[in-house]
Amino acid sequence: MSTSAVLRVALPRARPRRRFGVAARGFAGVLILLAAWQISVPLVGLSPYFYPAPTDVLAAFVALVRKGILPVYLADSVMRYLTGLVCGAGLGIGFGVLIGMSRKASLALSPLFKFLFAIVEVAWIPIFVVWFGYGIETIVLALIYVVFFPVLYNTLLGVRTAPQILVNAVRSLGASRLQVLRLVILPGALPGIITGLRLGAGFAFRGLVFAEMVAAKTGIGYLIFEGAQAQQTSRTIVGMIVMGLLWLAIDQFYLRPIERATIQRWGLTIDAAERT
Amino acid sequence: MLRLPATVTTLLLIALVAYWLAGIVGAHDKLAAIAPPPTSRGDYRITLAFAPERFHQLLLQDKGRLVEVRGNVVFMKDVDPAALRSIARNYWVESVARWSGH
Repeated sequence: MSTSAVLRVALPRARPRRRFGVAARGFAGVLILLAAWQISVPLVGLSPYFYPAPTDVLAAFVALVRKGILPVYLADSVMRYLTGLVCGAGLGIGFGVLIGMSRKASLALSPLFKFLFAIVEVAWIPIFVVWFGYGIETIVLALIYVVFFPVLYNTLLGVRTAPQILVNAVRSLGASRLQVLRLVILPGALPGIITGLRLGAGFAFRGLVFAEMVAAKTGIGYLIFEGAQAQQTSRTIVGMIVMGLLWLAIDQFYLRPIERATIQRWGLTIDAAERT
Repeated sequence: MLRLPATVTTLLLIALVAYWLAGIVGAHDKLAAIAPPPTSRGDYRITLAFAPERFHQLLLQDKGRLVEVRGNVVFMKDVDPAALRSIARNYWVESVARWSGH
């Protein structure tokens, strides 16, 4: 299967009516799940601490908003997430291009990055806490670490698979190394970079929850942890739902459109994609 | 092509500005009860619509010296005017009043 065909399958361009139908079906699925959950609560007969009903979760959500806790936690989490994502992606793209274009840099850095890649961020967090204490520095560093590797390796892949014929053509026209990078390598690597960014963004979300559980006194991850500690299971579930919804919103409103725009801009769609 | 991210970002920014403005207007109304306006550190009684949780206590501790919590009321000392305004900007703060400190 060609790259364009893969992308076509991965990124169908839905028509508004079909998109509405898909959304309606998704919504119906959620409603059925909620109804089943609510009905099961009296049947199971456990206390709300063990098995809260959707109405308990809704009440916890309303209380968290009314008390101003959820908006602050959400803002803190989003701020940490964006800072980690932007810094991690910037470093990943920079090192990916460097390693992809320079043999010396590749020889010097690849073994180190392979080694570091094997050490998951969870292992670093205790060290970061020792070095930087509890707070934003530790969380952002953990997120940078999580985002860095998927962006790095996908950028590297993009740089190395840039069409050599185009590189040669631009070079033969007298382009400098920087011009080759700007005119051929980066545009060619962009779909790879975007894929890495999307992967990194997803991993960062998981990293954020864990880092906030360990090294923060605010944030959605902390809410999940604090709710469980204080036997307020409804609050934990609110945190989980908010996390899920936040990711859906980021993916739907930002990552997908950016990915689609990149792929269309650099000519990786075919007519059939429009019909899908 | 990137109309959706741009629209969502614009809407978010509008919502943030509206939230910020609502906080300023709300703080103005709450502080109107304190006359004359504070110019130096003072002691205040902060009333919330609910019993404060750890989150509120930690947040208020950053703004001054939290002395006591009684029901929905938090008693604070040495709060400077800027900190008082930032406390009053929170929508979960119901009212702010001077406190004699005893």
